[in-house]
Amino acid sequence: MDTFTPETISLLALLAALMPLLSFGGILLVPGERNRGSFFSILNICTSLVLSVIVFIHVWQQSTVHQQIEWFTVGDWKFKAGILLNNLSALMLVLISLVATLVHIYSTKYMEGDPYIFRYWAYLGLFCFSMLGLVIADNLLLIYMFWELVGFSSYLLIGFWFTRDAAVQANKKAFIMNRLGDLGFLTGIMIIFAQFQTLDIALLFKDGGFVSHSLVQNGYWIFSSNQMPQMWLTFAGLAFFFGATAKSAQFPLHTWLPDAMEGPTSVSSLIHAATMVAAGVFLLARITPIFNSTVLTVIAIIGAFTAFMSATIALAQNDIKRILAFSTISQLGFMMLAIGVGAYASAIFHLVTHAFFKCLLFLAAGAVIHEMHHLKEKKALDFDHQDIRTMGGLRKFMPLTFITMVLASLALVGLPFTSGYLSKDAILIQAFEWADTKSIWAKLVPYSALFTSWLTAFYISRLIFKVFFGELKLNKAFTQQFSLHEAPGAMKYVLVTLAIFCLFPIFSSNPFHYEHAWIIEGLPVISGIARVNIFHTIIPITVNLAACFLIFIAYKWYAVAVKAPDFTNTPLFRFAENQWYFDTLYKNLFVDKVVALAKATFRFDKVVIDGIVNLMGDVGVLFAAISHWFDRKIVDGLVNGAGSLSKSIGNFARHFQTGRLQHYLVTMLLVVLTFFIIKYFSLAI
Amino acid sequence: MIPLSHYLIISAALFSIGVYAVLSKRNAIMILVGIEFMLNAAILNFVAFSKHDKFAASGQVFALFAIVLAAAAVAVSLAIILNVYKYYKTIDPTQIDKLRD
Repeated sequence: MDTFTPETISLLALLAALMPLLSFGGILLVPGERNRGSFFSILNICTSLVLSVIVFIHVWQQSTVHQQIEWFTVGDWKFKAGILLNNLSALMLVLISLVATLVHIYSTKYMEGDPYIFRYWAYLGLFCFSMLGLVIADNLLLIYMFWELVGFSSYLLIGFWFTRDAAVQANKKAFIMNRLGDLGFLTGIMIIFAQFQTLDIALLFKDGGFVSHSLVQNGYWIFSSNQMPQMWLTFAGLAFFFGATAKSAQFPLHTWLPDAMEGPTSVSSLIHAATMVAAGVFLLARITPIFNSTVLTVIAIIGAFTAFMSATIALAQNDIKRILAFSTISQLGFMMLAIGVGAYASAIFHLVTHAFFKCLLFLAAGAVIHEMHHLKEKKALDFDHQDIRTMGGLRKFMPLTFITMVLASLALVGLPFTSGYLSKDAILIQAFEWADTKSIWAKLVPYSALFTSWLTAFYISRLIFKVFFGELKLNKAFTQQFSLHEAPGAMKYVLVTLAIFCLFPIFSSNPFHYEHAWIIEGLPVISGIARVNIFHTIIPITVNLAACFLIFIAYKWYAVAVKAPDFTNTPLFRFAENQWYFDTLYKNLFVDKVVALAKATFRFDKVVIDGIVNLMGDVGVLFAAISHWFDRKIVDGLVNGAGSLSKSIGNFARHFQTGRLQHYLVTMLLVVLTFFIIKYFSLAI
Repeated sequence: MIPLSHYLIISAALFSIGVYAVLSKRNAIMILVGIEFMLNAAILNFVAFSKHDKFAASGQVFALFAIVLAAAAVAVSLAIILNVYKYYKTIDPTQIDKLRD
């Protein structure tokens, strides 16, 4: 243990973050085959994982490691940058590198044969680097930089198949939405800096740090000699939260995430599990002390609302990836809710468990899509290979994918013996505890969360039953018998590994008591009610009984041949199917106006600016024509005139040069005669 | 006693005939003949004027020199004409116009 000084540990963490950047630089800078990079980037990310695990072992439940160097100086004020490793960041480090490693391995098969796969590996490297950097950075400015990098690299990955218009639209949308959130984050940073003159997280947010020393008095937010109206404290919290809503796809900036499904499924899985969307929750967890009760309430309400909203939307979707995307938004809502009720340990716990089971769900869905697409290509059929209505009965062809995906779904629903049970239970119970002391309206939050978890049970069962049970719908549509294959080896092993992480023993020795989970024990728990409290008994039972009932209904409707009731024409279904019309609303409210403004300025540019420029050009051309004419006619005329004059004189004189002796003699004679005549007459005169 | 002017007229006539021959003939030999005409016109002048010479017959001595020179010149000229003929296969001076522009 002694060999690992804080310096060594932070160096290892830094290396862990830099390894994926090495893949990015190495693959893009070193020319080679188009399919290069897979081995190199897997090697790098594995190194990163090993380093992360070492760091984790030495940091978890031990002293916080904080190493800084001086970055730059402005006037007298020195800005420091460094690495902060506590339980939270060590946990995230391992989570990110583990999930990223699995996704890398999975991608070797999933992306096989893509003509530009080296770019994929490079972007993936940049993405992992940004996320790893984000969790180990020790000040808000550095986090902000990595935050932007995460946004940028997700932009690259979502638009990886940039020849498809939908992918281009999707990555543009994701980028713009994230930029909006970045504005919030930046505003928050400015307020914090104005108040505390530092962005160092350790100084600001540790126990007894600057934030906890600042106090609110007489409507003012006071820290040492600085004070500003209390409003700014709330505003800073809201600004940070706004930044997190964009990254973690919360209402009102959630619409980019479903569209981000245009990227490769492995990327979606990475975005949804450990990177990108986790960044928002992570940020909030890092800066928890800054939030006052108003902001926390807003976070809880937005979280609960988002969770409910996207769960209802997921009910009505037919694209396998979109269902999972809305499920992610919903689960992120749960995490936000947990942060809002002050249970940030539970939020992180859920983030971790969710990372594994959602990653698994996506990768299994990816395997299904992979095989369906394979079938489509092989038989040259025309159908949507992501639509669950074309699937069915796949458990016969892909038993391993089926089993792992069911495990992940159980974890998502939160049934006992899964990891999801522990974390979701923790959030629900703490939400109820939080609302217990509050007004009747606050009780809406936990109850909607409860309702949402039932909805979760239903939509994920619908997905499972439609995809894996019954008969393959394609057979009926094309009146042919098709058969599919199990996913290739690399993908299978990844699915199995992830499935292990969906079970409770990884996280807690007791399958029913979330308090015993080591992640919860490693993070500060703010409030805790004794196990004897009634919530601890009622809530899990309510959730699970209702969930089982709903799963049974879904089984009856979608798996057994009984005809499911058709909701497609009811207004509520259409409302959910169109994602609560948020896209339409944003389009009408903002996008159309911005596009109209852009078109107007484009026209202005085209007509006025270009007009002026073109006019200048035309005037120039005119002047040039005039001077050209002058040059041609006058200047050249003079020169040419002199030339042609001497030429014609020469031509005239040439005629005398006949070469005939006698002509010369005549000329000579004439000249001599002329000379004599002149001489004679001049004498006579 | 034949007056001096008669000599001079004959000399002028000879010279003119010579000039005409030189300028108009299409044969180098005839041009040479024209030159001899002009030379002899000059020699005739020498001899005619020698009568009024203060010194003893220096004009006639000059004439003898000139005749000898003429003979030498003819020899050289004929040699040139022969060479010209060898080269151009003609002695028509109108066809030998290599110096034309």
